Amino acid sequence: MTQENSKYLAENIDRLMRRDRIFLNNPVFMQGLGLAPIVVAATTLHNALVLGLGVLLLLTPTRLLAAMVCRGRWPRFRGVAYALTAAVVYIGVWFAENALFGVGMQTVGLYLPLLVVEPIILKRYERAQPERLGTAVRKGLVTTFGFLLALLLIAALRELLGAGTLLGYVVTNHPLLPMAQLVSGGFIFVGVLAAAWRWMRNVIKRIVSMEANLK
Amino acid sequence: MTIVEPILTFFFYAIVAIAAQNAIFTRALGVSRLVKIVDDGSVELFKFGALLTAVQLISSLLSFFAGRALPYKAAFLPLVLVLCSAIAFFIVLLVLVLPKKRALAKDYLSLLPMATFNCSILGTLLLTSTGGYTLLQSMGFSLGSALGYVLAVVLVNEGQRKIQNRGVPATFRGLPITLLYIGVLALAIYGFSGHTPAI
Repeated sequence: MTQENSKYLAENIDRLMRRDRIFLNNPVFMQGLGLAPIVVAATTLHNALVLGLGVLLLLTPTRLLAAMVCRGRWPRFRGVAYALTAAVVYIGVWFAENALFGVGMQTVGLYLPLLVVEPIILKRYERAQPERLGTAVRKGLVTTFGFLLALLLIAALRELLGAGTLLGYVVTNHPLLPMAQLVSGGFIFVGVLAAAWRWMRNVIKRIVSMEANLK
Repeated sequence: MTIVEPILTFFFYAIVAIAAQNAIFTRALGVSRLVKIVDDGSVELFKFGALLTAVQLISSLLSFFAGRALPYKAAFLPLVLVLCSAIAFFIVLLVLVLPKKRALAKDYLSLLPMATFNCSILGTLLLTSTGGYTLLQSMGFSLGSALGYVLAVVLVNEGQRKIQNRGVPATFRGLPITLLYIGVLALAIYGFSGHTPAI
């Protein structure tokens, strides 16, 4: 890395970290979005796949359609527009999930329809400025991938530690941490992972500034 | 007996929803919003709680009758329930705007979308509409669920004073320690009720 690049990185690290919604500013670990389905329903990889497909099909189309609908008119009712758009998009998502998982989609219970009002889907309505369509698609996709990363990681670890299986296949007959399957265990587990994520982020930040100082 | 029984049913469901089936501690409904409210610190909890309870009760009443009048598939259930919440939103908005007390209405209006489009509201509506609750059970559960949510917000908010101090390692401050704190409270509720409610 050249000296100029290192200096640029060190000077703009906070801004760059804010923009990286997949790793460094992950929507789950850094912003606390989408916690309800992750804490309660993401106990197995199968559940994570059901929820992940739901978010994949729901987040970006909702954000795009809502950005089209909310173009400056009735700014006070953006929340209503976003929620109703998500509920309409959910009809298609339900049929897609049903075709792919059948009755298997019921293992996540109410957490699939609940995605319609999850802050990870609706959060954008809180900002007054109308969103450009291209930005809506780009940010929607990036947020989706950040959420999927956290969801799959947490579900795989909780299934392995809590039940001793992965995708239903037995890995060990003596699960290390059965509590990981509980709701309380989910809160504690996500809390510890969020702390680990922040620690890694701080380490990266320190390395970048050290490199800039050395050069 | 005929009057006492429905009253008892109403309060029984309300108490169950506040304690043993608390929206936050047993189902994590609206926990992302709770974390934001606690982190923000500027949200007036009394006003937020009043709005949440009003929207929850109105939308619960509407969803009960909507469920009876229109038999619909699971795919359309969120749309019907979000529509009920949206109608409740406009009813509360009208009540706030009509008295023409602008300053007071402005405070409440900024919190209204946050209180209406909340996982706690939709989650409770989904539970009561798919669980075959009667009108009294549904209203009691909804009241308890809203009060339980507000109670959880107050508990976590009060806990912040203790957990956001210098003794906590830097990487745990903020979201991680808040989640750990909620996890410990959820474990206490689990110990009290002895089971995890169905999702």
